[in-house]
Order: sequence, then structure tokens, then C-alpha cells
Amino acid sequence: MFFLSLIKHTLRLPPHLLNLPLDQAIKGELETLFLDKVIANLGLCVSVYDIRNIDGGFIFPGDGASTFTVNFRLIMFRPFVGEVLSGEVEESDAKGLRLSLGFFKDITLPAHLLPNPSKFGEDGKWTWDFNGTELPIEKEDEIRFKVNSIRYPPIPVEQEKDAKPFAPMVITASIDFDGLGPISCVYANVTTNTSNEHLFSLEGESFGFFDGVTLSKACKC
Amino acid sequence: MILRLQTNAGTLTNFEVLDFLRSRGASTDSTRVIANVAPSEFQVYDYLVQSAARNQTRESIDEFLTSWVKFDPAKAEKLNLINIKPSPAIEIDSIVENCEQRMGNEDEALVKMIIEMLPAPGKPEGTNEDPTEVVADQEAMEAVLPPSTKPRGTNEEETVETVGDQDSVQTLSFSTVTIYLYVV
Repeated sequence: MFFLSLIKHTLRLPPHLLNLPLDQAIKGELETLFLDKVIANLGLCVSVYDIRNIDGGFIFPGDGASTFTVNFRLIMFRPFVGEVLSGEVEESDAKGLRLSLGFFKDITLPAHLLPNPSKFGEDGKWTWDFNGTELPIEKEDEIRFKVNSIRYPPIPVEQEKDAKPFAPMVITASIDFDGLGPISCVYANVTTNTSNEHLFSLEGESFGFFDGVTLSKACKC
Repeated sequence: MILRLQTNAGTLTNFEVLDFLRSRGASTDSTRVIANVAPSEFQVYDYLVQSAARNQTRESIDEFLTSWVKFDPAKAEKLNLINIKPSPAIEIDSIVENCEQRMGNEDEALVKMIIEMLPAPGKPEGTNEDPTEVVADQEAMEAVLPPSTKPRGTNEEETVETVGDQDSVQTLSFSTVTIYLYVV
């Protein structure tokens, strides 16, 4: 989910920060500049990890501020294709679902990547119809999903008035595989035998023990 | 101008990011307003704290990795397993390619091993973030996956290609700083 990226940047340090020790001032400037912003093809910047090198300190003519060339590492959030993540449902409509990870909310789950016999109910919830058992996807469910693709759409030049706010990084997710989907649904598909009972007790969480449910693993979840 | 010297200078597990944020002073109690941590970093911290990473320690992850070596997992699979900590065998299937071929009947034992090793009981110690130690960790992980030599299913090939692309040093220089404002 997280990577380190090494970046070199020419940073202008405003004069009002001259009283601070240099590395603190530079770190503060870098944080204002990069934190919580998306860099194309690198991902969402989460944090400044460390500063490797500070060079320069020249003052250009006509300018009151000094300019430094800084080498530093940023922690970037950029999941790879095929990574399994878990997040919550934020919005659900006829075109699919939108999931969120708390700090990142632009994860779309389009309708065609939901497991096959799913339908959209009138109350706004998607329900997965598995062999007659209905498994609804509720709003507070924690959902395991697999990353299908990541796109960085270009900044639009104009937007209509009521358009959704521009999302610079969009992750497309899919739950059409074994072991994915709302956590409650995943556990409903495990064949029950004594070793699994052992597993549930080891986990220490209290799932209703699905008595008599023997959905085989061969059925695609 | 931003110059990307290395797009991928190392992969971090969720635990490592959580540890880093903790060493900066992030926590869930009311002292968070005084800490030197930005609100956006706090959102990441909140997410990580309720994920599987909250009970892990550096030692438990090392133990886990050494015990998995005999199955020869790819870097992406190890990362997924450490971050997600799957419990029923079926979740492992979505993470590890060709699960039955490589592990056969041993997957039950594996699942138990995962449950035992990954969430360490009790509170993790607040280890100081030692950059050299973390780099060594990452180098060990980097060394495992030579991109083209191992045959894998289609999913894994996509993963390998993506990671491979990012590994190559990109030195794109931008005449204007290309940062997109992320509207939360």
C-alpha cells in the first residue's frame, strides 16, 4: 500500500522562517507543499519520511528568500494492481459502490465488478444473490476488495457547476474473487468442520457459527 | 521543480508506516492535538490503527517471513499477507497465486501459523524508527522478486509488470510543479 519515493526538489524558503533551524524549516515547507496531495503516477503523499540532503542556500538577485535543493523521501500511498485492501462503503448507487479508506475516498466499485448475480434494491443497497442466500452489502460493512486499476485523470480545464469535485487519483476495485466482499459474507462461505471451528475461536471474535452451512469452496464467491 | 530520483525507493508494510507515525507522536488519545502530526496524517493513523497492523511488532513480522520462505512467496504476496492477515483458508486463495498447487494440504497449518505469528499479544513496544534498519528490511524484501524469472498466473504478471515499471529510475523533470490538489 505504501511506498517510499526519493524526490529532489528546488525549494524556496521564505525569509520569515529564518529563525528556525534549517531542517525544521525545510521539513515544514515540504509538508505544506506535498502532504495530502496527489502526485501523478506516484500516488497520494502521506508523510515526509526523511531528508537526505540539503544543498544550496543561494539567494537569487531581487529575491529575499534563499533557495535550497533538497533530496528527501516521501511515504506515498499507491496500492499495486492485485493488492487486497479493506475499506468501508461510503456511497451506493445504481452504477456501483464507492468505498473509502478513511484517508482516501475515491475507490469506485463498478457494477460489473461485483460478483455475478448481484442486484440493486430499491433501498439503495446492493445485494448479492448466492445460491438463494441473500447477502446485502450494508453501509458500515468492512469490505475486502482487490485493486483492479489506478487512474490519474488529467485536471479538467472547466467543470460544470454541480459536477462532483475532481478526483486526481481514482482506484477501481473488484470483489469478484474468492475471499473478497463484506467480511461477514466471506465467513459465510467457509465449509464448516472442526478445524474451522478451531479457527474461529483462535481469532477471538464472535461470529455466529454458521451451523449447517456447507457452501463449497468451488462455487465462486 | 520536482525531479523524481527514484519512484520506488522501498516498499513499506502497514506496520512500518504505523510505527513511523507513532514515533512522530501520533496516538489515539487526547494528546493528539499537541503532537507534531498533521491532520491528514492522523487520518492515515486512524485507518492503520483499526487494521491488522495494530498488534504487530517487528519481530513477529520477521518470524512470519522466515517461516514462509519455504513456500517461496512473491513480494506482493508477502506484503498482502502481512497487511491483511487473512484467517479462513479461502482468503489466502485470493492473495497467493496457485494456492493449492504450491501448498496442497498444508494450508490449514499455514493459516494457524499466520494467526499465531501476526497479531502479537499485548501492546507493541514503541520502537524508535531507525532508518538504516528499515532500509535493510526493505532491501531484504526487494531481493526476493526478480521480475521476469518466475512463471506466474495472469494476476501476478500484471503485478510484476507494474512493480517493474515503477522500479526503473524515472527522471522526468517538470517545468511547472505538477501537484494536484486533493479535495477531501
